[in-house]
Amino acid sequence: MTNEHKRSEGRPKAGWRIVLRSELSDLWIGGKAIIFLILFSLLLGVMAFLFATNKELSLTPPAEALFLMVKTTLAVGLLFGLVLGADTISGERERTTIESLLLTPVRRRDVVIGKYLAALSPWPAAMAVAGGYLLLIAPDGATFVSAFVWTGFVGTIIVAAFTGFGVLVSVMSATNKASLSTSLLVYILFFVPTQLPGSAQAGVVGELIRRVNPLDAVNQFLDKLLVSNAAFDELVSWLVSPMIMFVLVVLGLGLVAPRALRLDPPGIGALFARGRGAVVLALVMCTIALATASPSQALQESTGQLTIDVDLSSQEVKTGDTINFQTRVTVPEDEIGPWIVAMNIVNLGDGDPVDPEDWSPLRAQTIEQVDASRQAVLEWEVNAIIKGDYLVYMVALASPASAGETSQPVSSQGIHLTVEQFFRINPGGVLPLAIGMPLALSGLLYGVSRARRRTIDSEVMN
Amino acid sequence: MQAGEKVLTATQLGMTYGQRQALRGLSFTLGAGRILGFLGPNGAGKTTAIRILTTIIEPTTGSFSVAGIDSSDPHGIRQRIGVLPESLGFPGRNTALEYLTYFGEHYGRSRTESRDRALSLLSEVGLGGRHSSLIGSYSRGMRQRLGIARTLLGDPQVVFLDEPTLGLDPRGQQELVQIIQRIARERGAGVVFCSHQLAEVESVCDDVIILNEGQVVADGRVEDVTARKGAVRFSVVVDPPYVDEAVRVLQSERFTVSRDPQVDGRIEVELGTEDPDQTLEIRRELLRSLLAAGVDIVAFTNEASRLEEVFLSLTEGVAS
Ligand SMILES: Nc1ncnc2c1ncn2[C@@H]1O[C@H](COP(=O)(O)OP(=O)(O)OP(=O)(O)O)[C@@H](O)[C@H]1O
Ligand SMILES: [Mg+2]
Repeated sequence: MTNEHKRSEGRPKAGWRIVLRSELSDLWIGGKAIIFLILFSLLLGVMAFLFATNKELSLTPPAEALFLMVKTTLAVGLLFGLVLGADTISGERERTTIESLLLTPVRRRDVVIGKYLAALSPWPAAMAVAGGYLLLIAPDGATFVSAFVWTGFVGTIIVAAFTGFGVLVSVMSATNKASLSTSLLVYILFFVPTQLPGSAQAGVVGELIRRVNPLDAVNQFLDKLLVSNAAFDELVSWLVSPMIMFVLVVLGLGLVAPRALRLDPPGIGALFARGRGAVVLALVMCTIALATASPSQALQESTGQLTIDVDLSSQEVKTGDTINFQTRVTVPEDEIGPWIVAMNIVNLGDGDPVDPEDWSPLRAQTIEQVDASRQAVLEWEVNAIIKGDYLVYMVALASPASAGETSQPVSSQGIHLTVEQFFRINPGGVLPLAIGMPLALSGLLYGVSRARRRTIDSEVMN
Repeated sequence: MQAGEKVLTATQLGMTYGQRQALRGLSFTLGAGRILGFLGPNGAGKTTAIRILTTIIEPTTGSFSVAGIDSSDPHGIRQRIGVLPESLGFPGRNTALEYLTYFGEHYGRSRTESRDRALSLLSEVGLGGRHSSLIGSYSRGMRQRLGIARTLLGDPQVVFLDEPTLGLDPRGQQELVQIIQRIARERGAGVVFCSHQLAEVESVCDDVIILNEGQVVADGRVEDVTARKGAVRFSVVVDPPYVDEAVRVLQSERFTVSRDPQVDGRIEVELGTEDPDQTLEIRRELLRSLLAAGVDIVAFTNEASRLEEVFLSLTEGVAS
């Protein structure tokens, strides 16, 4: 009777906490997570060192370097989360511990939550490690804070989404091999487009693909935030698809994963038969529809006149920085074209006039075709070569129909560029951190495994 | 728990994997403090039945209740059972003590309570001296013992053991039998236990169910199941000079007979029927014809059959 009493009184309140604690100790005291952090800090250390010392890389503008480091932090953090997530349930199946896991009197949902949170745990630690390197690279305190806070925020969304995706795949897989290869394949599908040069994805379709791909969207968000100082209104729209992916994954973890957590992975068909798959499918469709519908720029109807707009009004940069912007040309209904858009750069201070050829790989572009709303969008790139105060403006004109005719060019609003002298990363400052961080982490690993060894019988340790 | 109270009721359980019917129409009840043995050749459906009853898989047909909890509340059932599953994996990088402490916390115990419980259970199964070794370093039998300790963590009302003696040394097997008896007699839990060790089942179990190709071929109290088969065979001991004559007489009456090579004059006779009334009649006839032929009968006994014989005869044609 006493047993009976104890049981009913002590029903576990939060089973997920017990699962989480055990998983955390496996991950951290077992050493896996710390080893990951050591490798991660080595990678960032090498990057920082190269930015500081390598002749070519040291010309990379700090904003660009900062962004590269942020991008690496995201890619690595997200990969580790995905791999840990992909191991959660299929790993138990493979190690034949699944039956024991299913026998614990903890709700299936709690098992999923505990394991999911544990797989997420390396991310805050990775952010903390990355913080040191970002501080080193960032040109000033404000830039560091903005980079750190925003990377932390959007990184958490995307890492949580991908880790959860890994868990979902794992729940559906019989072996780690199946689970890992599926997860990694999806990761690569998302990751590869982010490595393609921007020009490969120009145009409406290109931009759409970037927006739908949550990984690319997050990168674009941070790129525009850290490198191009874009307006916040424009930035927020890039967070739509990562947010949707996150929400979908969390829904999947809450609704599908606990049911799929069984001895043998359910056939996907079985889930669909229960009607849950249909819900998931519908949500996926909604995502795509929503992400697609998110307006990149308000469409303007043709007004019957040739007009040209730019999506940037002013920017402060350092020498060597790249400035990217778009022009949108609207052409009259009856005009046939083609139209030409040319770039001009005027030095507002004293000093030599600017030769735009030095500043941009492309001075003029031709528009052969316009879309249904009589518009065309072009991508532009300007490199800040010399310190100073400049105005960039764009001119659109229609090609005259014949030798005897002419046309009236129209100009865009100017883009005011303020170019400061390039800040150099101090190599002397990089080394202590690049060496110190991995050493400190290795010390931590050593300490943890020593402490662990003391709680285990010495006879079995070698 | 009252003795005799039903702690497990299964009704028409069936399981189909694709085209294969692994289990059909399994119905039984188990009283508190009783030990039920599941027997059957490989692939008979024992593990399938245990997985269903322990909420690991859902049956295709039928329902059951464990400790008064209906199968529609698997979470509730899991809190009241202890299971040694067939596929017994452990996290190799944990120590036995850590693992049991962790597992015990799921039943709502505090960490220290759970640890104390783990320590006492580990010494109960003979792992007291090795509780802080990594499970990865355990031998097969040690893991099996750890698994048995785990089944008792939650003070279960029903304990399921899928081949618990697998990999245990002779002393371990004996200890296990004692543990199982203690679980039933002292804790008053019902025990379902499946094994290929028939002698063991015969000595420990109160009830037995023999499965063959997913179907129950015999069930009831162990005595009843063996007795039913026991009437099938007699042994007659005649004065040695009369052996040949006795064999000739019996064979002419169409009995299947065999001479015991070890005991001179002992002849075993198969009656070819299980019906108690018929066997009585046949026995009279048999004796009458022997006496009529002038054979001196020294002794005559019903051959008490062992569970093993019952098992082999009921599951014929299938490798065990
Ligand atoms: N997951 C599964 N998928 C398909 N068939 C299965 C599955 N599990 C069991 N079976 C089949 O169900 C039948 C019963 O299997 P089960 O494991 O219950 O036998 P068992 O009586 O425990 O045998 P053993 O004595 O070998 O442990 C077998 O024919 C087996 O092939
Ligand atoms: Mg089995």
